[in-house]
Amino acid sequence: MSEANYDPLPVSPEPQHDAETDKYHTFVNLALGLAAITGIELVLVYLPFNQIFILSTLLALSLFKFIAVIAWFMHLIYDKLLLTLAFGTGMAIATGTFVALGFIMSRSNVDMEAITAF
Amino acid sequence: MSDTATAQHEDSHASLVVDNKKLLMWLFLGSDCMFFGTLISTHLIYRKLYPESFEPTALFSLELTSFSTFILLMSSFLMALAVSAMHKGELKSFRRNVIGVIFFGLIFLACQVYEFAHFVHEDLTLSTNTFGSTFYLMTGTHGVHVAIGIFWLICMYFYSHTGKMDAHESAVDVEVAGLYWHFVDIVWIVIFTAVYLLEYVDF
Amino acid sequence: MSHTDTETSVPPSTHTSEMEVLKPERSQLGLLRPDHNKSVIIDWLTTVDHKKIGIMYGAIALFFLIIGGVEALIIRTQLAIPENDLISAQRYNQLFTMHGTTMIFLAVMPLNSAFFNYLIPLQIGARDVAFPRINALSLWTFVAGALVINFGWLLQALEMMGLFATSGPTAGMTDMVPSVGWFGYAPLTSTDFSGVGTDFWIMGLQILGVASLSSSMNFIVTIINMRAPGMKMMRMPVFTWMSLVVAFLIIFAFPAITIALAQLMFDRTFGTNFFNVAGGGQPILWQHLFWIFGHPEVYILVLPAMGIISEVLPAFSKKPLFGYAIVVFSGAVIGFLGFAVWSHHMFTTGLGKIATAAFSLLTMAIAVPTGVKIFNWVGTLWGGRIKFTAPMIFSLGFVWMFMMGGFSGIMHAAAPADAQQQDSYFVIAHFHYVIMGGIFLALVSGIYYWVPKMFGKMWKGNLSTWVAILVVVGLNITFFPMHFLGLLGMPRRTHTYLEGFGWESYNMVCTIGSYILAFGILLLLVDLVRCIRSGEPAGDDPWDARTLEWATTSPPRVYNFAKTPVIPARDALWAHKYGPENQKITEEDDHGHGIHMPSNSWMPLIASIGFVPLGLGVSLMQAGIPFMGYFAIFGLFLIALGTALWALEGPGGYHLFPGKNIA
Repeated sequence: MSEANYDPLPVSPEPQHDAETDKYHTFVNLALGLAAITGIELVLVYLPFNQIFILSTLLALSLFKFIAVIAWFMHLIYDKLLLTLAFGTGMAIATGTFVALGFIMSRSNVDMEAITAF
Repeated sequence: MSDTATAQHEDSHASLVVDNKKLLMWLFLGSDCMFFGTLISTHLIYRKLYPESFEPTALFSLELTSFSTFILLMSSFLMALAVSAMHKGELKSFRRNVIGVIFFGLIFLACQVYEFAHFVHEDLTLSTNTFGSTFYLMTGTHGVHVAIGIFWLICMYFYSHTGKMDAHESAVDVEVAGLYWHFVDIVWIVIFTAVYLLEYVDF
Repeated sequence: MSHTDTETSVPPSTHTSEMEVLKPERSQLGLLRPDHNKSVIIDWLTTVDHKKIGIMYGAIALFFLIIGGVEALIIRTQLAIPENDLISAQRYNQLFTMHGTTMIFLAVMPLNSAFFNYLIPLQIGARDVAFPRINALSLWTFVAGALVINFGWLLQALEMMGLFATSGPTAGMTDMVPSVGWFGYAPLTSTDFSGVGTDFWIMGLQILGVASLSSSMNFIVTIINMRAPGMKMMRMPVFTWMSLVVAFLIIFAFPAITIALAQLMFDRTFGTNFFNVAGGGQPILWQHLFWIFGHPEVYILVLPAMGIISEVLPAFSKKPLFGYAIVVFSGAVIGFLGFAVWSHHMFTTGLGKIATAAFSLLTMAIAVPTGVKIFNWVGTLWGGRIKFTAPMIFSLGFVWMFMMGGFSGIMHAAAPADAQQQDSYFVIAHFHYVIMGGIFLALVSGIYYWVPKMFGKMWKGNLSTWVAILVVVGLNITFFPMHFLGLLGMPRRTHTYLEGFGWESYNMVCTIGSYILAFGILLLLVDLVRCIRSGEPAGDDPWDARTLEWATTSPPRVYNFAKTPVIPARDALWAHKYGPENQKITEEDDHGHGIHMPSNSWMPLIASIGFVPLGLGVSLMQAGIPFMGYFAIFGLFLIALGTALWALEGPGGYHLFPGKNIA
């Protein structure tokens, strides 16, 4: 190999494309988004819109916040699929069970006479 | 020898599907989901059965609760940064962010305590029909989870000063604490909507 | 077998002068770790070895099996004749409550745990579980829970002698042992209707829940992460697969009962209104939450048994399990569907037409994967070279007896039929057939199969045949007539009955059967003791079996495998012994690294002990005993202390070099 007798030209440093910095930007954006959504939710309940619309929007927004924190802050989207499946199964079982329970327990089975607290 | 040593120190063939501690925490959180699911469902079922039994909007301060929700979300953000810092081995940045999480967590708890004190003063106690019972047990359990998380992070903060925290081996421990903290946050997201916001919607 | 030259059956070298003596090291706390202890007691109290932990679970479980059995015999004796006055009604209530609670939580579940603990690492080619100290915590927490839940007997004895009476929240109540049924329906469990026994029940079950949850999470991580190279999921033994499904069932089902128990505790202690009717509480919610746990619980009880059968039948048919993938998949489907059928325990509570129909259909659906498994087991036997060894006899018994229990179960699934059967002896017949005829026979099969591996001793003589005859005949004589008793209208949980209903002869027959069954179980214990004390050496693979645990010595060395095996196929040992050259088990080179073993530790024991003052403190507070709140707080402090020291001591560990510092 021949000896190099020159000073190499200065080269600009590689832009930081490592995963951690990309994640940093995602986190900042997500945090801002979450704050904004919370603000929207707070305002929404006071607005004179159709109640069913407000209800659906609230549920959709909180569902988004829920999934976003799990996927990005909790890294699930960067992890193995196994974890998502395990968590998802648990969520499915829990949701199914409690939705069913909500339907089964109804006012028609309650003996309102026996209640003295209200 | 650090805590993760046992796993990584094992015969190198053991290519873990997911790191032992991380998988353990995810399983614990899956279980914890069912805990909070039961608590929140009990609350919602009793609200569905007796909507007229209590008027929480007279008592709730949605501004305060939104503020504490925002605080908790921001603490989650700082926790994500703390985990990131640990992955990069930046101990000082890690410590700054952890202090931030602890600080915000304490603010959240302070808001909760203030809120509870206010409610009790207004005669909403554990034994005030089903609303008091379900509300306090559910949010109280959540508060205890936050307190345990804060205690864990305080311990971690002090441990980071002992010089025994090493970027590669401790990153998992920090990540696991992060998972716990984020979980506590998403439970609150559900509680905020299902318990507070929903009371303001007429359906 | 040539897979390793250090794995011989030669007893440990007596030339200790040639070998390095292992000395314990200091932990990060500066304290001496309890490794290599000369005291046997300290060694077993601080062990994190899954094999020792498994044996302790098994021994304690068998002890409680006897206790639960005695409780049953007293019940049966009381019921032998009409209007018997052997025991009072309250005592009767306590006996059937404790019989159920003991058998389910203190006998069957820990026996299952014994097998999980002993076998899973061996079957997947691992050295130990993922978190050995958490494993020890689970064991000792189980012991703590067992103590708390049975503590009431002591108080009851004092009360009977006139030396103690409750005051405070449960003043005037005399039931100090749980008496509310193993399912504790509200509002019977409120302080208005039951005494401190209910508090012991609540706290005891909560503590047992901690033990089960921690154990399950440990096993899931172990099975997913610690399999030997080549041990793909679909090459794992079916027992390990079923254990994995059960562990998931536990972590998703226990929270429901934990919260229900917490709500009940708050009702009793702090006056909340979860189940208090006057305050708006709905007792039916307790039933829902309990059975949301309770139904998966019965699958938690039975799936390990099915796993055992799926090992024993192939071993003694000299054939692989028929339809391995389908059997595994059915197990998972049963687990999943098990969450969807809970209200079939509540058909007579007025659920409404739609709910009743839905749960009825789903319950019938769950019979399908169960039936698939039975067909696959029969398919395994078909065309095989059957060897009628002791384990095989009990496994065959399982297939038949469990099926009979399944038939009565399917009858329950039809809601209109259930309307007659609910709360009658028909239900008792059903679940005892599946539990005794099913689960118990499978567990006995497992005992006969794996004890030679665990203790290195073979069974002596043919006592097992007598055990089988007496147990099967006994359980059938005890429980078959109960089908008729139920249809003739005899209700459950009544301490006596009048003449003239036509129940007398059936009851007498059932009682006689129960004594035959008890004698059979006694013979089992005699056989077990004889084997362990004076059995002939069993050898590594006395049954010419199929799975990896039989590739170790009997008993296995503390490190299980000298070198990590590399697995080429399902039924790895069978393929190694009789398969082609490319299916031989090979070994990973450890590069002179030695075998890394986890250290013993006091901390799990300390943390677990704290549960006793916590549980007793809260309960005795309800009994009006002063300062018990502080006692409970002391318990919390102990738990926190144990946990903190645990974190700070570090995992430790030491290295073994076979031939150099260990045989």
